[in-house]
Amino acid sequence: MKRYDLIIVGAGPSGLSAAIEAAKCGLKVTVFDENTNPGGQLFKQVHKFFGSKEHKAKVRGFRIGYELLEEANKVGVEVVLNATVAGLFQDKEVTVKIRDAIYHYKADSVIVATGAAENTVPFAGWTLPGVLGAGAAQTMMNLHGIKPGNKVLMLGTGNVGLVVSYQLLQAGCEVAALVDAGSKIGGYGVHAAKLARMGVPFYLSHTIIEAEGIDHVTGVRIGEVDKSWNIIPGTEKHFAVDTICMAVGLSPMAQLLNMAGAQMEENPQKGGCVPICNAYGETSIEGVFVAGDVSGVEEASSAMIEGRIAGVAVAEYLGFINKKELTDKVEQLESALDKLRQGMFALENRGKILEKTEEGYDTSMNLLYKGFCTEAEAEKYPGVTKQVGVHAVIECLQNIPCNPCQDACPRHCIKIGQRITSLPVVDKHKICSGCGLCVAACSGQAIFLVNEEYQDGYASITLPYEFLPLPSKGDIGWALDRGGVNVCQSEVVSVKFSPAFDHTNLLTIKVPVEMAMKARFFKGGSCHAQD
Amino acid sequence: MNMRIKEHPILGKIQKGPIVTFYYDDKELEGYEGEPVAVALRAAGVMVHRHTQKRLAPRGVFCAIGRCTDCVMVIDGKPNIRTCITPLSAGMHVQTQYGTSAKFVKKAEGME
Repeated sequence: MKRYDLIIVGAGPSGLSAAIEAAKCGLKVTVFDENTNPGGQLFKQVHKFFGSKEHKAKVRGFRIGYELLEEANKVGVEVVLNATVAGLFQDKEVTVKIRDAIYHYKADSVIVATGAAENTVPFAGWTLPGVLGAGAAQTMMNLHGIKPGNKVLMLGTGNVGLVVSYQLLQAGCEVAALVDAGSKIGGYGVHAAKLARMGVPFYLSHTIIEAEGIDHVTGVRIGEVDKSWNIIPGTEKHFAVDTICMAVGLSPMAQLLNMAGAQMEENPQKGGCVPICNAYGETSIEGVFVAGDVSGVEEASSAMIEGRIAGVAVAEYLGFINKKELTDKVEQLESALDKLRQGMFALENRGKILEKTEEGYDTSMNLLYKGFCTEAEAEKYPGVTKQVGVHAVIECLQNIPCNPCQDACPRHCIKIGQRITSLPVVDKHKICSGCGLCVAACSGQAIFLVNEEYQDGYASITLPYEFLPLPSKGDIGWALDRGGVNVCQSEVVSVKFSPAFDHTNLLTIKVPVEMAMKARFFKGGSCHAQD
Repeated sequence: MNMRIKEHPILGKIQKGPIVTFYYDDKELEGYEGEPVAVALRAAGVMVHRHTQKRLAPRGVFCAIGRCTDCVMVIDGKPNIRTCITPLSAGMHVQTQYGTSAKFVKKAEGME
């Protein structure tokens, strides 16, 4: 029987992070993963992550995946793929299924980093081909280059539902609607706003009645729900879609720990049945640790930090480092983790409707109920200012843990300060150069450059654009407002792309000056057809 | 309609292996070597991977990561193969699964 200092189950963001830290402390580490490729779900995340620089904010998920693999490789972590851990037994004996055989391994410590699985909602017709998980849609389009369908209805408006809907649009699918039984949009307002300005409608307090079709989905019926979640008669709506995606939360995959006899708790805030663990991730079984979604569903950013904490903690547990080294290493990580858990979407705020931001601004209720803010709401915020010449307009209206815009501006026009969840403030006394680095750096695509004196009677608006075909200079099309309504004709006056923007192209459009604070997206193609 | 994404705004051109021929029931289809069988089938417009034993309900891809087992088919004579994580290879025989076999076997009344 082969022995290791540490066996890690799962080569996703938390497992790899744990392996890296432990290996750096001198441990002999092996990671088992049932998949053909390492990285867990990171490689299908084509969007830019939130957080701060230390959390790799504004870096796209798949690039973080490559960075982790490289780091793991450098420190000598062994990753065994196509290896399903089937059991965790007394004295940390681990059984692993590789091909058609079961192998036994022994470790002095184990970190379980098995992640979480997608939840489902059973409705009539939910087993039809064409109904699939939002993660499944991501896998198909972002890993394998195939559209899951042509026209999609998304159930769920949490961050997964919002982000995957946007990615479906990027892949060339049509998104018919987002539906959520909850009365407000569950995820970040900035993610919802990206969809709303492209004209994707939200149906809140609605749920799916039935998926239609004989041997695959051909349509879907939804209806509004009352307070006891029953369909209100007469509220039915029909969509002719070929695909229904479900983004209705995740559940920790903690079966191994349960089986090993770890103390578990049913905790709805953490996503279901999770092991009870301390701040280092150690469970009730000595030497068995957890990291990432398996101990409570969060973001990949926090999973990576939890992984690093568990990796260091195991090193101390086995005597590779002393207590002092442990506290030194963990202190910074814990403060970073703490920062990520702040803001309006923090655990303690789940399900609540906050009337004010941390700074005391009125919450944009339209953002919660429609997916976009009104001009009047936006103008109250410190990122939205009126200035002479080109300047940044930051429509970031919720306290979320994210601050890349602050570092992106070479002229220091944007301030967030020490508190990572604070709203960005545009400093009127600093002169914007119009470089657009902030526009590309904003993971929420909430920053626009506006110049109300572009030409006599015309304003220019620079907006982030991540779709194909990329419009060209001189193209005429529609300017869309925050709700996706065509408000005026506009002309593309500049298209900028740069490696520094990482595929977030900057489109500058020209609109009549009264549209400067209204137009927020550009739709190419013939205007005449719709005139 | 072609479901393949030729060029992605973030990922660029999608890298694939060489084109290979495989067999789906009695049809000859093409796909890219190494991609999941389910992806090659989706590209060819195949949605139904199997029919359940009792109700003959059609099933297809659901989780796409080998967890739910809804997309299983008979591959090279072996049933219950998760097509979403099985790489396609040249000459592969992929068959619609009925219950647990490639041929529909109706159970006698009352056996359910």
